[in-house]
Parts: sequence; structure tokens; C-alpha cells
Amino acid sequence: MASVVIMPKQGLMMTEGTITSWLKKEGEEVVAGTPLFEMETDKLTITMDAEVSGTLLKIVQPEGSVVPITETIAVIGAPGEDISALLGGAAPAAAPAAAEAPAAVAATPAAAPAVEAAPAAPAALPASASFVIMPKQGLMMTEGTITSWLVKEGETVTAGKPLFEMETDKLTITMDAEVSGTMLKIIKPEGSVVPITEPIAIVGEAGTDVSAFANGVPAAAAAAPAAAPAAAPAAAAVVEAPAAAPVRNPGERIFASPRARLHAEENGVDLAYVPASGPEDLIIDRDVMGYIANKPAVTPLAANVAKAQGIDLAGIAGTGTNGKITTADLPGAAPAAAAAPAAAPAAAPAAAVAAAEAPAQAGRGTRTEKMSGMRKAISKNMLASKSTNAQTNHRMVVDMTAAIALRNQYKALGIKVSYNDIIVRACAKALQDMPIVNASVDGNNIVYHDYVNVGTAVSVPGGLIVPVIKDADIIGLSGIAAKSVELIEKARDGKLTDADYHGGTFTVSSLGMFDLDDFVAIINPPESGILAVGKIAKQPVVVTNAEGEDEIVIKSMCALCLSYDHRIIDGAEAAKFLQKVKNYLQNPVLLI
Amino acid sequence: MAIMTYAQAIRKVIQEEMQRDDKVFCMGEDCEKLGGVFGTTRDLYKEFGTDRIRNTPISESAIVGAAVGAASAGMRPIAELMYWDFAFVAADQIFNQMCKTRYVFGGNAKLPIVLRSQQGTGRGNAATHSQSLETIFMHIPGVKVACPSTPAEAAGLLRTAIRDDNPVCFFEHKALYISKGEVPEDPNFCIPFGKADIKREGTDVTIVTNLLYVNRALEAAEELAKEGISCEVIDPRTLVPFDYETVVNSVKKTGRLVVVHEAHQNCGWGAQVVAEVSKQAFRYLDASPIHLGAKACPLPFNPGLEAAVIPSVKEIIDACKATMYR
Amino acid sequence: MIDKKIGLWIYNKMNEIRDFEETAWTLFTENKLRGSVHLYTGEEAVAAAVCAQLTDEDLIASTHRGHGHCIAKGAELDRALAELMGKATGYCKGRSGSMHIADFTKGNLGANAIVGGGIPIATGGALALKMQNKPNVAVAFFGDGASNQGTFHESINMAAVWKLPCIYVVENNQFGMTTPVEQSTSVQDISVRGAAYGIPGVTVDGNDVVAVYEAFAAAKERAVKGEGPSIIECKTYRWRGHWTGDPEVYRSREDVEDWKTNKDPIKRFRDYLIKKKLATKKELDEIDAAAAKKMEEAVQFALNSPEPDPEHVMDDVFYEG
Repeated sequence: MASVVIMPKQGLMMTEGTITSWLKKEGEEVVAGTPLFEMETDKLTITMDAEVSGTLLKIVQPEGSVVPITETIAVIGAPGEDISALLGGAAPAAAPAAAEAPAAVAATPAAAPAVEAAPAAPAALPASASFVIMPKQGLMMTEGTITSWLVKEGETVTAGKPLFEMETDKLTITMDAEVSGTMLKIIKPEGSVVPITEPIAIVGEAGTDVSAFANGVPAAAAAAPAAAPAAAPAAAAVVEAPAAAPVRNPGERIFASPRARLHAEENGVDLAYVPASGPEDLIIDRDVMGYIANKPAVTPLAANVAKAQGIDLAGIAGTGTNGKITTADLPGAAPAAAAAPAAAPAAAPAAAVAAAEAPAQAGRGTRTEKMSGMRKAISKNMLASKSTNAQTNHRMVVDMTAAIALRNQYKALGIKVSYNDIIVRACAKALQDMPIVNASVDGNNIVYHDYVNVGTAVSVPGGLIVPVIKDADIIGLSGIAAKSVELIEKARDGKLTDADYHGGTFTVSSLGMFDLDDFVAIINPPESGILAVGKIAKQPVVVTNAEGEDEIVIKSMCALCLSYDHRIIDGAEAAKFLQKVKNYLQNPVLLI
Repeated sequence: MAIMTYAQAIRKVIQEEMQRDDKVFCMGEDCEKLGGVFGTTRDLYKEFGTDRIRNTPISESAIVGAAVGAASAGMRPIAELMYWDFAFVAADQIFNQMCKTRYVFGGNAKLPIVLRSQQGTGRGNAATHSQSLETIFMHIPGVKVACPSTPAEAAGLLRTAIRDDNPVCFFEHKALYISKGEVPEDPNFCIPFGKADIKREGTDVTIVTNLLYVNRALEAAEELAKEGISCEVIDPRTLVPFDYETVVNSVKKTGRLVVVHEAHQNCGWGAQVVAEVSKQAFRYLDASPIHLGAKACPLPFNPGLEAAVIPSVKEIIDACKATMYR
Repeated sequence: MIDKKIGLWIYNKMNEIRDFEETAWTLFTENKLRGSVHLYTGEEAVAAAVCAQLTDEDLIASTHRGHGHCIAKGAELDRALAELMGKATGYCKGRSGSMHIADFTKGNLGANAIVGGGIPIATGGALALKMQNKPNVAVAFFGDGASNQGTFHESINMAAVWKLPCIYVVENNQFGMTTPVEQSTSVQDISVRGAAYGIPGVTVDGNDVVAVYEAFAAAKERAVKGEGPSIIECKTYRWRGHWTGDPEVYRSREDVEDWKTNKDPIKRFRDYLIKKKLATKKELDEIDAAAAKKMEEAVQFALNSPEPDPEHVMDDVFYEG
């Protein structure tokens, strides 16, 4: 998929730049990280590198152009790709119009859905009835799927008794009724995906006429947003967040108005993530309120990925529920297949042919099943990982004999420690030694974490989840063991909280119990590494004995595979990390 | 309710209060047959005689001093200066005598004096007859300061002033005398001091203003509404005592403050409001408060020049937008 | 005219004033008093002879050199001295010190630290008396310096126009602070300025109780009859400097000694009372002793009085009743 090159903001006060020289011509290959063009501002002259690789499809702003920051200056993509949409459909010759169009196109959809998304608070419901809404469960929940209604229309609802079951991307849960009465109307049938706080049913006195609220909102109210466009501008103005995604260095002082700070504090917003629209990078109240208002319009995953990739969500039109931005909407993410041709043009025709030659087989059909919330989350997360970082892997086999002995020593003391715990501990130590493997990418920055939080992939019915062992570098082996037991139990019971699966800096995934010799795992963004652990198996190994003779001995060996983000971790560093893990596992006295 | 002008409302209250209490009397330059330059005591001498509607020599110190002496001896004088600018002629009697008498005499004295005059631009009176001086009276302790912006307020605040046992400086605006409005007919209609009036409710910017600028701020608010900016316009009505609570609560809601007055900006009373709001509502502010007032320049005669010195409606609009970062 | 009763009253007041002023001087030199203290010693005849003809219903407005007027108008020595010492028991709760003693219950509208500041206030008091149809007068005491202030001219003009019962008593003590009167004032006798406003003006020997008394009696009669204000100029002399600490470079020791020795108003009135057989030497000695004793008690009262409580420093800025 093609992407645009914008006039980048360089320095606090820059508002526009002059392109002094294009270092690539249209049609030439561009390699990310190599010089693409030169520009000058009122402060400096600078050579800018390409952010992405591909073919320079179009130079929108020729040399000598003075261009406001963030406006499109070129397009990079695959040869032959249709980029008219990115150019706003305007003929390239019509330069001024073309230059403005993309920005306008980008800004409109973001503001508009947000206005509509404000859930039309359905007033005027008879006093004898009340709405049941999709409840927010957990900090990050934005929508839920109703899996089952436990009370049918006309049946009695009792406060405190189960009313319906739902699932979110994190959990499956039975919700109790808040009020007693009769189930007058089920607005959202089973299988519905409903944004939080929207009405899903009406409970009240038997016989209350709620026919006007069949869709959750009175007919008149539902029509209102469309009928009252005049009111929109004011609201839109409030939500419209023109600023680019903030690029702040860790520890950099954040300037915010007192009111912005107050509202950020009250709403648990970290100002580091709030784009500033005030003068001199000042975060003002509108930015915080816009950030809060926009939050529901982005899935948590997409927000994370966007943050990790430095993608400005303001310009992205969402295609999820209620216009919500999903990872599929992120530039370079969704048409992962389409991106492939750029990277490997030779493969493209073959894939196209394959797709064309896949007719349904006669006599046997297909079955389409809606993805569960968790499945959708995994799907997006995995795809986002594969399409937004440069992952590759190294493998190494380690001798677990000493680790087994250690485990048995603990066992003898009545302390249950798993191999996984020992491996987590070894990783934590190695991560302490090599902070780059514990780091994440944030736009063009590398974010180093002072803490080491190691996630452990846990298989649960319907998917997997990765609870995080916080401070794995300081809580010790027995601390890790205790925490992992607790987290695994909570995961299996669907009782993990937001805090339990957020904040990881590295992940360990063990599938040895499925008899795998070794395997490759996908990085869990924004982390930069994941260690795939195979089974521990006795193997013949050639060793040199004390007499200097080679001999074959039987040892318990285990294959480790480190997937790492090559953008920030070099191959040698990854190898060194694996060596360290190996050294800790083979000399577990270092782990105690 | 009766519809009357600001000047008529003042006259009505003076008349009713003189009927109610024979200790109340008026003294001032040309207040008798002329009825004052703006007619606020017109024909009252016919009803009360020239003893109680008393023309004075052009002797501002003696007028104020006599009011202090008469009040000390049991009367309730309403002393009128023709222009507030002339207060400087009587400065000692106002600031060293009237303001301090009660305090320095250990609380022995009660000084029920209303010192009335008018001020402001709009009639081409130039530098020594167009100033807005209320801030100065707010600065020196010992006198209450009332600034009505409507006929009803002129009536309600003046009656409160006359019945108050303290000196009150009553600031009328020359351009408001012909403004008309509803005034309660109740002969006991009073507006308590220290209670601000919210002239227009809004959610985005708090505008604090007084006298003629209440109208200008409302005009600005109307324009801003068209652009989706909702202004709350607050008239403190009395500067001493000052209702900071209403202003602070408003700013807590809006997060933005613009103070505008015709008085000179430099050290004008708006600065005090900004200081107090910054103290009491700092965490609620989304932008630095903006304080508008007349430029640090004597008020010129030529209408164009005069308008250039005092804040325009556009400046109020721009200030509000600036607090919105727009 | 001055009978025995009035004579002894005046003599007693003059003695009280003299004792008060000299005690204040001593206390100041002992550092028990602070601030500006302007002493009335040598001028006692004016305050005593005028106030002898006033009741509590009559009003006075005084000056920065006002102790004498206040005592003559009924102020107690103890509370007056306590005020000079800034004590809570002082007339002004310790807020005002020497220059602002007032007691409205005695018709004293207050001393005034601004030269000429009290003249329009007395005029306003007279306006109130007239509007209230009271048979009383208001007296503005002020010095030769104040007669060059605008308030003097504005007030006298206003009172003359309105025929107010106000009597303007000029205490011409020869100096406006350190400037001799002939350097500052265009006329030899300030009383002639009455002619400018169409009212009577007389100049009398301010150290002669009888002369002051008679001049004031005439002015008062005129005022009460509704004929308007008068000016009485009393030529006198302050024995002390303008303030405690005045180096007195503007006059000679001989002059001061001459006034003290030959023109002392108390000595002159004492001789007058004896000569007119209005009082015996013994009676007058007893008055002297009583005044001295009263003063001694006042000192103890003031010294023993509490300091005002800063917690109440904001009280009385406004009447809150």
C-alpha cells in the first residue's frame, strides 16, 4: 500500500519548510533510512531520510516549494499502484488544490464519527421503565458482544440475578440485572456487538409501552443528529484535534495548561500521549478532552500499535463499529497482503493467480463464524505485529540439566517452581543485562524501560492471553513462581484485570507440553522480543570430558527461539542475548 | 415594573428615599433648578426645597468635607460631583477623611454618605472629563464602590447605598443615562452589595466587566456565539465588596477569563480579578487570563482617537478567542 | 461674662492641658511614646476659653495639634494619653495616636492630621445643625498655615453663602511648621480674610482668656441667630517646637523665653482671677494639685493598659451593623 511523505515538523517553531532538492526521482527505488530529500526551514538546512521503502511514485511538491508542515510532498508505494485517493483525486498539475486536499480528506472523517458516536442519550423513556446498557467492564473496554440473554422478553427480571452473558476482547462475563421488573424489550439480540453505554434492553413495569424505543432511541431522537447539522460545528470544533501525534522524549518536560492537567488527572490520561495544539507545544484542555472523546473511537490495540509506530490517528478514518479505528485501518497494516508486492514484487503475480483460482469446491460448502472478541483481538494483534515491525529470529539449544536439578531442589523444599518460571527468571536477568531487548519503538524513538515485565502466553479456551509478571527482574524466582500460578489461574477463570495483561516488555511462550521441538513466535507489540521455548528432551550430546576426549552423553536439552525486532536489535545483540539466557540456565546459581 | 431610563431610575430612588427619611438630602453643583447635568435631581427642589436639594459652590473639597461633617453630625447626605474626574480636586476629603474617619476614630463614627458622579467616554469630554476611575476607590480602604449597568441596578444599588451606614462611591456612566429598562416599582427595591450578576450564561469563556462595557461584552458574546464560542458575562455590580465567588465558580466551569473595563488597563481593577482568580482557580485555567482596559494614554477628544484608546468589541472578541487558542 | 464657675473651669482645663502636654513631652523623651506628637503648650487659653462656651451638642473639628481642643471638649486625660501611647483603651483603640483623637459623644468630630482637613468637616457639621434646626454651633480650630489651604476659602465661602452656624478659630502661633507666618501669608491679620466672604473677622490676643472668651461669645451669638459664620484669629505662640525633636532653627531662644516669662496664658489668667477676686490663691493651688494628680493617674492608666489585639486590626473599616 502506498504511503505519503509529508513535510516533517523539525523543531518546536517550524510551521513550513522549503524543499531544496529531491534526492530521488519519480520511479526510483527508495530505501527506508536513506536520504530522500533536502529541505530548509527558517532555522536549519537538513537532509531527510525516507521513512519507508518502496518506489517513489509521485513527487507532489517539486523543488523550491514552500510547504506547511504535515502536508503531503510525495507518495511512495509499489509500481503501478493507484494513488489517486492519496492525492485527493486532483490532477497532479493542480498543485495548490492537490496539496491541501489530502489533509482535508483526512481530517473530516475523524471529527465526524466522533460527533455521532456520542451515544444519543435516549431521553423520554417512560418513568416506569429503564434501559439496560452495555456496561463498561475494565478500563479499556469499548464494546462487547452479547453472547446470551438469560431472560426473555416478558419474563421477570430480578435485580442481582443473572441477566445476560457477554464477551469482550478480554473476558467472558455474566452480568446481573441492576433493577427488577419485566423484560419489556431486548434491543440487541444475541450476537450483537454493542459499544459501551448503548442501550441493549428495556426493563420496567409490565405493560409499559416502549414500542417507540425498539432501537434503543426514540424515533424522533434518532433522526435528530441528521436533522440538526447546524449544531454540529460547535461540537465538532471541540473534538477536532488537529495536532500531530506527540513525539516527546522520555523525561521531556510536558507543558500543559492547569485545566488540561486537572482533567487529565481526573480521567487518568497520561499527558505524554496527548497531542498539543496550544502555542509552543502547550497541551490545552481541548487536547485532553479531545483525546478522551476520541479514545472510544480507537480500539486499544490500534492505539497501542499506532503509538508504537508513531502513527497519527487524527488522519485515519475508522472502519470498525461506529467508525472506530482498528488496526486494519492503520497505514501499512490492513492490506498486509497488498504491502507484500512492494517488498517482494516477484511474489505478487503468483499470489494473484492463486486467489483467482480458488473456486468453491462442488458439494462442500464453507461455514462462516463470527470471531469472538478475543479472536478478533488476537487476529489484529498478530497481523499488526507482522506488518509493522521487522521481526526475524535466532535459535539456540541449551542444556537444562542444571535447571532441572534446581527445580528439584525447590521441589524438595516444598516450593513449586516450573521450568517456565526458571526461563522467565533467566530472561529477566538477560534483559537487565541488555536493555535494548527490553525496549520498544515509539515512532522514531526508542523507549527504554527501567523495569522488566515478562509476559507469559497462556492458552485458554478460544485463544490465548498473555498475563504479565511485573518486575520480574526484582521479585526473584519464588516471586515469579507465585505470581505465575496466580495469573494462570486468573486467566483460565477469565478473571484477569486490565492491569494483569498490560505493561509487558518481553514475552516467553512455552509449547513444550505439545511435544514441539522448537517453534517461532510472533512478537507481541509494542514489545521487541519474544522467546519461544520448545520441549525439554533427552538428547545425545558430544562433550569433551576432563581428559580432553570427546564423548557422547545424554543431556536434557531445550531449543529456544528468540523473535526480535530487527529495527532496534541487531543480529549480534540478539545472539548475545540468547547466549546470556543460555548461560543463566546452565548456571542457575546465578538466578538465585 | 416600569420602563424608565437609567437617569429616571436614579431620580426616582432619590425622591423616594428623601420622602422616606428626612435626614437624606442632596448637595452638588447645579443639582437644584437644572437638576444636575443629566437630570437625576430634576425638579426635586420643588418637592423638597432648596435646603434639601442644595446647590453648592464649585468647591469639591468643601462639598465632600461638608458631607463628611454632616454625616458625622447625623445627616445622610447624597453629595454629587459633576464628573468623577473632579474627585481629584477633593482627594484629601475623600481619601484621607471620608475613607478613614470611622476606622481612625476607633469605630466611633458612622458615615452614611453617598458620593455620586458620572464618568466615562462617549460625549467628547476629553481628558479631564472622560476618565473611568472606580479602581482608585477600590484601592483605598473604607469606601464601598457601586457601578450600575442598567436602570434597575441603578435603582436597586442606589437605594442600598443610601441606606448603608458607610460611605459609598456611586459610579454612573454618562453614556448609560439614556438607556431604558424595566425597574421594579417597589419603593424598597434594593440590590445587595457584593452580589455579582450573570448577564449571560455560557460555558467557554468568562467575561467580567462593568458599566458601559457590560453591553459591549454582551455584543461580543453574541458575535462569538455565532462561531460556537459560548461566553458567560458577569457584572460584579459592586467592586467593594467584590463577589469573587461568582467569578471563580464561573471560571471553574469555563476555564477561561477575560476581564474588560473602560478604566485604564494598567493596574485597573481587572488586574485584581485576574490575581484573585489565579489564586483561587489556578488549576481550572486553560489559558492565561486576559485583561483589557483603556490604553495608558489620556483620553483624547476626537471620537476616532477616543475609540482607539478604549477596548473595542473586536478586541473583546479576539481576547476570548485567544483564550480558546483560536 | 466670665464668672467664678466658668473662670475655675477654664483655669482647670488650661492646667490639665499644660500637664498633659508636658507629660507627653517627658514620656516621649523617655521613649514611652512614639510617632508624631505636636504639643499645644502655650496656646491653652484658646481651647479653654472657646470650649467653656460649648455643650456636648456643639461640634468641633480639630487639628494635628489637637490635644488641647479634645481635652477642653471633654476628653478624659487617661484615655487620651492611652491613645497617644497606642493602647487598646485609647479613644481610637490605639489605631490613631496623637493626631486623630475624636469623641463623637462629646461633639468632637475629631482631630485631623491634614492641615486644613477639618475645616470643611466642621462646616458640614454646621450644615447638619442648621438642617436639624438645632441652637448649636460648630467650631473649626486650625492654624495660620491652614488659612492658606483651599479648604479654608471654600468652606468659609460656602458657610457664608449658606449662613451656617460655624465659627472659624485661627490659632496663629506664628509658624507654619518652621516657616514664619509673614513668609507664608499675604496679610498681617488673617481675620481680614473674612471681608472677602462678607463675614466678620476679629483678631485677639490668643493668650488672653478674656479676650478670646468675649470674641467667641459674640461670634456664637451671631451664629445661633442664623446670621452666619465668623472668623476669630487668636495670636498665640507654641512653646515647644512643631514636633518633638524640632531643632527650632527658625526662632531665637530669647523669643521663646519672652513668651514663656511674660505672656504665659495660665499665669496671666491666674493673676486675672485673683485680681478680680474670682478665686483665691489657695483655690487655684488646689486646682493645680488636682490636675497634677489626675495626670499622674492618667500616666499609670496608660502605662498599664493593654496593647490592642492585632486580631481586630480589620475591625471598623466599615460599619457592619
